[in-house]
Amino acid sequence: MDFNYTEEQQMLRDSIGKYLEKSYDFDARQKLVRSDAAWSAEAWQQFADFGLLALPFTEEQGGLGGSISDCVAFAELFGKHLVIEPYTSAVVLSGAALAASAHPAAQDLLEKVMGGEAVVAFAFEEGAGTPSPAHVAMTAAADGAGHVLSGEKRLVIAGAEADALVVAARSDEGAPALFLVESGAAGLHPRAYRTIDGRSAADIRFDRVVAQVLDCPAEVLDDILARAVIVQCAEAVGAMGALCAITAEYALTRKQFGVPIATFQAVAHRLADMKIAYTKARASLLYTTALAQGGAATQRDVAILKAQCGKLGRAIGEAAIQTHGGVGTTDELSVSHYHKRLIACDAMFGDHAYHFRTIGRS
Amino acid sequence: MNIDFAPELEAFRAEVAAFFATAPTPAIREAGRKTTSVFAPFKECMEWHRILFEKGWVAPHWPKEHGGTGWSVEQRFIFAEEYRKADLPPLLPQSLGMVGPLLIDLGTDEQKARYLPGILSGEDFWAQGYSEPNSGSDLASLSCRAEADGDDYIINGSKIWTTYAHHANRMFMLVRTSNEGKKQQGITFLLLDRTDYPGMTIRPIIGLDGFPEQCEVFFEDVRVPQAGRVGAENEGWAVAKHLLTHERGGGNAASPTLMRYCERAREAAAVTPSPFGGMLAADPVFQRELGELEADIASLGHFEKLAISGHAIARDPAFPSINKTINSELIQRASTIMAQVSGVGALARQLEALRVGSNVEPLGSEFDLISMPLYLNSRATTIYAGSNEVQRDLIARSLAGA
Repeated sequence: MDFNYTEEQQMLRDSIGKYLEKSYDFDARQKLVRSDAAWSAEAWQQFADFGLLALPFTEEQGGLGGSISDCVAFAELFGKHLVIEPYTSAVVLSGAALAASAHPAAQDLLEKVMGGEAVVAFAFEEGAGTPSPAHVAMTAAADGAGHVLSGEKRLVIAGAEADALVVAARSDEGAPALFLVESGAAGLHPRAYRTIDGRSAADIRFDRVVAQVLDCPAEVLDDILARAVIVQCAEAVGAMGALCAITAEYALTRKQFGVPIATFQAVAHRLADMKIAYTKARASLLYTTALAQGGAATQRDVAILKAQCGKLGRAIGEAAIQTHGGVGTTDELSVSHYHKRLIACDAMFGDHAYHFRTIGRS
Repeated sequence: MNIDFAPELEAFRAEVAAFFATAPTPAIREAGRKTTSVFAPFKECMEWHRILFEKGWVAPHWPKEHGGTGWSVEQRFIFAEEYRKADLPPLLPQSLGMVGPLLIDLGTDEQKARYLPGILSGEDFWAQGYSEPNSGSDLASLSCRAEADGDDYIINGSKIWTTYAHHANRMFMLVRTSNEGKKQQGITFLLLDRTDYPGMTIRPIIGLDGFPEQCEVFFEDVRVPQAGRVGAENEGWAVAKHLLTHERGGGNAASPTLMRYCERAREAAAVTPSPFGGMLAADPVFQRELGELEADIASLGHFEKLAISGHAIARDPAFPSINKTINSELIQRASTIMAQVSGVGALARQLEALRVGSNVEPLGSEFDLISMPLYLNSRATTIYAGSNEVQRDLIARSLAGA
């Protein structure tokens, strides 16, 4: 067993880390979030230049043949820097769905995704913290040679800006399937908003929207979601690590009653609990990634990772705010923004309460 | 990143399972099912120790040249998983997990040659003499005194919480050899060849579960040879701290045992009616609680695998404390759920039925027989080997260096 990043992965982390330190520090990030831009076109171009947009796809498809552990290696840094660009939804989810389909339109679009010329959003969530394709209720009715979609999708990351949408819905036979919808198609009614953690999202009403079915088998859809959950957990773990470091440093320097507050046992033990929580979450992330890399991660394995990152991330965020005291409750410090990212990661694809119960039931 | 799923590993799993299906005696199996502590019933546990020694599988976590198996991390986990599936008694940690690895690291060649064979074979069983009535969490304040006299030390004082000292034939201990300087200076680490030296008295203490697991050991002018000293005189604190990394860090994974407890709880809950109707296993609150516990145990398992494979996570200075804290609190949570499932079924005091070889039929199921003693016994896990308050102090202190 080996759970270390390879030398190549370490190099990738180093160069992306350097770029983010230089161009995506907290002040720059906050300026971006407050601007009218949904995300930074410049950062997206940088990700394309680093090869990240083509990384998860096979060489035959024009990709770089990267693995899940490659994605995890840099996604930790995305979490550390609270990146708002739609990498997981546009590349790990939509890109993978396009790659799994033999449809010529899908292949054309995938090329543009890899080149950074198109962004494809992934419309999956329906409001209950939709954890798996089995929970999708939206229906796709057969209509001539194609399908029409009706219903509502929530929290579609980049949903208002995307060039196209990959939509999960049930076809006539009742099985969950994926459909491709062009942006601006008749009957699409997006309502865009900024999420609490700085991302651009939309709730979208579908009113008999024409869609093409992507011939992506159900088990492939499960696998795509599992990978996205792992990448999102890597982001959460990156945020947890940053919060632990920032909070420890604060507690060691902030003085009250003439001494650093870290010298008080109640505070020290909270710091210890944060470190324990981070250690558990990161161990589960690295182990589950290695399992997935070997094609051996079960739904239960992924549920465990998702639930742990949700619960432990929330606990770390709350402990970080408490330790910082008053300033922890402000918008000015990064602490509250990390916490909001962790809450968002927990809520998407089934929160910890849902996954704990499925684990306990089996 | 890589996990080996080679087909040979499945052959190895089958080999281990086949051995566990045939080698243990019925008494050893009964002892495994009736283990309600980290410390299994002594007699049967040592019988099983000797069988594993004969097979060459007694110390998978030891270096191969000293009697380890040379297995890969994958193999060690397969061994641990099959071990738990078969509900076999865990081997006692004091010899194989503590003093053995310590001697491999720090013992003289003579000490290794003298003691390691008996530790491996199970001929010897060692007790750990650390805590004293007035030195628990503040271990360095210990006062059990050893005066040099010719080639010997003369020991006066007492030790407490000395697990299974009444079964031990050897003992390792910390003594005070000097009162000069800081309290950590002046401590010496000693190996005792016997536990029946003149002047040595062992008094078992009945625990809250009703069993004599812990002991108090009194020393009155006990004369022991200085040749049993590990490290230099007055420099035993460093030796003790080194041993603690083995005690808290653990050579063997705990997660398979904890996962097995959850399985047993789920099985029992499937036949336990819920006051809300139906069976407890179908109750959403029970499912949620058990799932949360299982997820946490899974994370411990992931952490253990990273540690055993040599990942940087285990090179953190706080690693032993993190491991001990997670582990000890999960034992408590698992046994709490077990006792909760048993409910009133766990209220009968059944010490005789719990004894290995007893002809007293238990009231209710075997699960109900063990769940309460396990719950009660596990109150100690967050206290021994350095209380979890002390562990959290150490973890927090490690942040200052980061």
